[in-house]
Amino acid sequence: MNAMTAEQRQTSAREVIEISFPGSVEFVVLARFTAATIGARAGFDLDEIDDLRLAVDELSVSFGPLDGHTGLRYEFLRQGETVSVRCTREPIEGAEGGFQAEREVINWQQARELSEQLLDELVTAHGREVTAGRSVAWLTKHRGSTVR
Amino acid sequence: MTGPMATIDAELPADTPSSREKDERDQLVTSHLGLAHQLARRFGNRGEAHDDLVQVASLALVRAAERFDPDRGIMFSTFAAASIIGELKRHFRDRGWAVRAPRRLQELLLEIGSTVDRLGQELGRAPTVPELAQTIGATEADVLEALEAGQSYRTSSLDARDREGQTMADSLGSEDTGFTSVENHSALTQAMDTLSARDRRIVQLRFVDGLSQSEIAARLGVSQMQISRLLAASLRQLRSNIDARDRPPRS
Repeated sequence: MNAMTAEQRQTSAREVIEISFPGSVEFVVLARFTAATIGARAGFDLDEIDDLRLAVDELSVSFGPLDGHTGLRYEFLRQGETVSVRCTREPIEGAEGGFQAEREVINWQQARELSEQLLDELVTAHGREVTAGRSVAWLTKHRGSTVR
Repeated sequence: MTGPMATIDAELPADTPSSREKDERDQLVTSHLGLAHQLARRFGNRGEAHDDLVQVASLALVRAAERFDPDRGIMFSTFAAASIIGELKRHFRDRGWAVRAPRRLQELLLEIGSTVDRLGQELGRAPTVPELAQTIGATEADVLEALEAGQSYRTSSLDARDREGQTMADSLGSEDTGFTSVENHSALTQAMDTLSARDRRIVQLRFVDGLSQSEIAARLGVSQMQISRLLAASLRQLRSNIDARDRPPRS
């Protein structure tokens, strides 16, 4: 992998990486590593890369605990010095009910609020939406945009 | 021996060391503490806090003194040095890494750790991956791989004393006064109650005060990579605590 100059980063074509895995803690390392790699290609410094990795962790738990009952599909997009990540919740065939049941937890609101507060500090923008009937959590982070 | 001490010795079971034996053992330990420090220093610069290594070496020294048999014709210093070195090696083997990483990644991570802080001072900001790779002479992919592996490295003790005799706990302070004025971080503040004072402080500096990891590291006098690991571990703990409270009790 060759180091890119800032100019090359600005002008190079967009890069998209997609990965899917069962929503288990053991697999989230794949998303973190991908995020770090694409963040490095966007020219992020180590602080920004660490922030992006933590933010990806937060996206991973957007739909509930990582108990393997739900699949997660990630799309990482780099365009110049901006990285966008979309995490979509997907059903796992044969998994026991995890996808149909919305998370019914006493502290769900607190967990979600906590994630949103952390993401506020870690990335440039983030949100949640429903696309084609699937729940999606997303974030965008620009190089040099660390919130102060 | 007469007097109260003799009485106490007489009451001890046969396999319990007498006070004289204890005194001799204590003397052995005291007179060889310098050896423990010296060997701990030899294992320095490998990512573990010096005070942690001194503690491991000192405990090994005490155990060596307990096991030492002068009738075997070996000098205590020889016996103790072998015991201490063995214990230090075990410490690195068993406790340094939560998940065993390949040696090349461990070595690269150590090099990255010192380079990040040096480059950070030179540049006035955290270095980028290409800057790190170029300085170290590694590929960017290797640097990224080592950084990910670094997340499974246990954090060194933050109770180690610096040159001024201050511990990181000292610099963190005992009161989290910043929290009381932060009304708009209720979920975070509430969740942080479950963290240790040290971890609360670091999470506060990052997510309430908005400092970068490098800035926190500079303020607390530790490495950026230590802060990175502590923050990641703290957020995992916050989520774990919330999830644990979510789950209904098992029937």
